[in-house]
Parts: sequence; C-alpha cells; structure tokens
Amino acid sequence: MKTFTATPADIEKKWIVIDAEGVVLGRLASIVAMRLRGKHKPTFTPHMDMGDNVIVINADKVQLTGRKREKPNYWHTGHPGGIKSRTTGEILEGAHPERVVMQAVKRMLPGNRLSRQQMTHLRVFAGAEHGMDAQQPESIDVKSMNKKNTRTA
Amino acid sequence: MSRTKGGTVTHRRHKKVLDAAKGYYDRRSRTFKVARQAVDKANQYATRDRKNRKRNFRALWIQRINAAVRSFDESLTYSRFMGGLAKAGIEVDRKVLADLAVHEPEAFNAIAAKARDALA
Repeated sequence: MKTFTATPADIEKKWIVIDAEGVVLGRLASIVAMRLRGKHKPTFTPHMDMGDNVIVINADKVQLTGRKREKPNYWHTGHPGGIKSRTTGEILEGAHPERVVMQAVKRMLPGNRLSRQQMTHLRVFAGAEHGMDAQQPESIDVKSMNKKNTRTA
Repeated sequence: MSRTKGGTVTHRRHKKVLDAAKGYYDRRSRTFKVARQAVDKANQYATRDRKNRKRNFRALWIQRINAAVRSFDESLTYSRFMGGLAKAGIEVDRKVLADLAVHEPEAFNAIAAKARDALA
C-alpha cells in the first residue's frame, strides 16, 4: 500500500470568510494559518499548496489581551539613527490596521517559499466589507469554537 | 614474467565513482578526488534518510489522522482518539488509518465513533 500523495487534480481550494471582531489575535491567526496550509484536510500533503483561500473581515477590531496594545514594533529605515517604532495599538488605529493580522499569520507559517505562496491566498480587510462575494465564501464562526477565542482580559 | 601495470584497475575504480557522481555540480561530477568525497557524503545521507523516511511518513500519517478526527468531532483530538482506540481494543495501525481517512471516510468515521464511545 502506498501512502496517498495529493496531485494538482486532487486539490480543491475552498473560499472561507472569518469575522475577526472581538477574536483574540493569536487564536485567530492559528486557525487562519492552519486553513492556509491545508492541515485541516485528511489529504494534507506537505509540499503541495492545498489550503483554502481565507478572507478576514473586521481585522481592525481584533482582540489583544494583556498589555499587547502598548507593545512597540521596531523597524530601521537604513539611515543613521533611523530606528523607529509604533505600538500595535497605533498600527490598528492607523492607515493599515490589517497588517497586524497579516503579520501574525505570516509568522505562524513556516519560513519557506511555499508559505509565501500560501500567504497570497489570504485577504485581510479592516472593515466589514470584503467585496469578494463572487467567490461565494463560506462563513466560519471562530468566536463560538472556543470561549477563550473572545477572552478580553 | 611481464610487469603488471595498474592503469586499467585504477581507471575502473575511478569510473565507478564518477558514474555515481553523474549530474553533480561542477568538479563534483568531473574530478575523481572531489567526486569521491561527494559520493561518500551522498551515501551517508542516503543511509540516514532511509531510516528518517520511516519517521517522516509516520509523522505525516499522524497529521492526516488528526485532521480527519477533528473534522469528525470537534472535541476529539488525535491523542484522545488513539487513547479511545486502545480502550476499544482496535489494533489498526496509523498507516491504514490515514489511508482510510483519505479513501474511505465513512469507514474511518465508524472507527472514530467506536473510539469516542470507548472514552465515554
């Protein structure tokens, strides 16, 4: 008996939409990352791009526990003295709040070429609209999966 | 008695190594000295990875069983499922379980139901 290996013909990529409002960031990202990689499927094949396409809405309303809103994120501009920082809260209130969810998911994926390809199947939107109704995405309720998913403290 | 020269023997020995190094990069496929090192290392990796292959496949089966178990019942995980199987006295190995999960989902779900009942 030979272990099953998925070929492109076996792969069916679904579209799913997740409402991030009030959901704890890391718990959301772990579910999204699992879906993107396809680890929820019994046919999971590590070298194949077989995950779902994931749409996240209300990404600016994710829940952060503890003092993580005040946690600074640093980057360097390349100029002397060019170290800058912005807290996660500032990013969420800034021009690109969806980057918080993007980065959380990216860092939960393995650091290889396949995961960069899988990241292109993730669409994150700050508002409640995703404008991707043509894909007929199936809604997934992360809030009701586990009571810890909406923890506030 | 005439003198025996080693040329043909050396040539055969070298050819064996260089043939094994076909397709290697640069001097690794052309120069005997470098090709010998490359082939020796390749054989070491091959020996090691024949053993690793068994672990890698077992890990993959476990990941697949976990996915199938969780989609069958949200409260069931791989670990609890295997515990349930042991209690129910079902001795199907992971390779077969993973294959059932892919090709015979109904059969797999029947086993999963028995494992769940054994836990309760």
